[in-house]
Amino acid sequence: MDISSIAFANSLILGLSIAGIFFVAALGLTIIYGTAGVINMAHGEFIMLGAYTVYALQTFAGIPYFLCIPVAFVVVGAIGFAIEKSLIRYLYDRPLDTLLATWGVSLVLIQGTRLIFGSDPKYVEIPQFLSSNLEVGGLSLGVFRIFIIFMALVLAAGVWFIFYKTDFGIKIRAVTQNREIAASFGINSGQVYSFTFALGAGLAGVAGALFGALNIVLPTMGMGYVVEAFLTVVTGGGALLGSAIASLAIGELQSIFALITNSTFAKFLIFVLIVVFLRFRPQGLISASGKRR
Amino acid sequence: MLLRLDTVSSFYGRTQILRDIDFGVTNGSCMCVLGRNGVGKTTLLRTIMGLVDKMTGTMTVSDTNLTRARTDERAKYGLGYVPQGRQILGNFTVRENILLGTFAKTGRNGKVPDICLDLFPYLAENLNRRAGELSGGQQQQLAISRALAVDPQILLLDEPTEGIQPNIVAEIGETLRMLNKKMGISMILSEQHIKVARDLGDQFVMMDNGRIVESGDISELTDDMVDRHMTV
Repeated sequence: MDISSIAFANSLILGLSIAGIFFVAALGLTIIYGTAGVINMAHGEFIMLGAYTVYALQTFAGIPYFLCIPVAFVVVGAIGFAIEKSLIRYLYDRPLDTLLATWGVSLVLIQGTRLIFGSDPKYVEIPQFLSSNLEVGGLSLGVFRIFIIFMALVLAAGVWFIFYKTDFGIKIRAVTQNREIAASFGINSGQVYSFTFALGAGLAGVAGALFGALNIVLPTMGMGYVVEAFLTVVTGGGALLGSAIASLAIGELQSIFALITNSTFAKFLIFVLIVVFLRFRPQGLISASGKRR
Repeated sequence: MLLRLDTVSSFYGRTQILRDIDFGVTNGSCMCVLGRNGVGKTTLLRTIMGLVDKMTGTMTVSDTNLTRARTDERAKYGLGYVPQGRQILGNFTVRENILLGTFAKTGRNGKVPDICLDLFPYLAENLNRRAGELSGGQQQQLAISRALAVDPQILLLDEPTEGIQPNIVAEIGETLRMLNKKMGISMILSEQHIKVARDLGDQFVMMDNGRIVESGDISELTDDMVDRHMTV
């Protein structure tokens, strides 16, 4: 391969890795928005809590990184469950109130974390082999980025399995499509929303466990990721497949634009493209619930 | 009495729709709810299912007071609901739509109940088809099938023949007769086709402006009542 084709192939692989990050960041938000219609402004802080959970487990209990990931899922899922039970459940069908309330929650979580852990950056340790680089035929990519792509695929498959192959999945999809009919057949929509919110929060926790190792861990780290998550969910339309396609498209385009121009201009182009796309298709790629719009 | 409503009123927001309804269904009988459009027939069925904003009075099923019960709790007392316009879940497969009904059933095993397959062979052969692709009559069969998956004590049928072509109306009528007369499933049937009501019903209530204005055995339903309360 000549240099330009190597650079292009490298940027495609990098795009895949960016897509993985976007998808992992957006997955929990997709589920919560797609099912309950809640725009969760605290999603970035759930990601941040996942990162701090891993940091705390490693620092205070010496738990290995791979074990910390499922624990982050459980811990942040439980926090999400408690927030849904104590606050969000009173605000369904009131989008503006939910938006403000979850924003309030995000501020509380940031300040609470600052009080407990301080404002200085923390670091998540990963196994040695994950920090190495893989070089194949002139192409180079960090193993951890490949791990994120792998995790994106595993999480997507897991969520698909829950949604389409389990009773809980039938309940979630029934409540999303028609809450009255779901209730008429014995499904407690309040309970479904609580567990869905917990699932979404738990997935954000897993995202945090990954992103904490990618960058430094700070109380405000969620703010950056929540933008990526919202871009993906809004472009995708709130459905799982929509988010997958949107993250792939955004990741690859951003990477290719960055190759042609530079990364700042690439992000600018992506934002413009998304705005133009939403001008013509405000419901996104695949709408999770036709009823809600 | 299997199901009983005592001085039940119901509201959407602040608007009162039903006024002081006294109503009862005995075991194995078919109660027809008659009246013009907009008199409260659908609201009566929705009130029984707990799908209105507010309800006053008392409702019991098998002597259990369900007045304050949520919709999902009521369903578990054996209320099989076939709503107006069918409201099958179009994105679900036929199988998933029927399985939805089983969530209200005790001793659920995650399988499509045999009765649903036996009654409607077309559905049995098309379990993996998207429900939104079915014709109106097939969707109505699916809605009935879903309600039967509840293993209901009472089927609540809201105009099951509405918008269905005449030969399918007869077929659905036959199915309902079999469920009621042979299998002994009680029914509350909201209906505008007076022939279907006379054919299937044991008792009737005639509604007007949110109240029950006439009631009795179906044999007591006179043409004069039909003219006064059902002719537009």
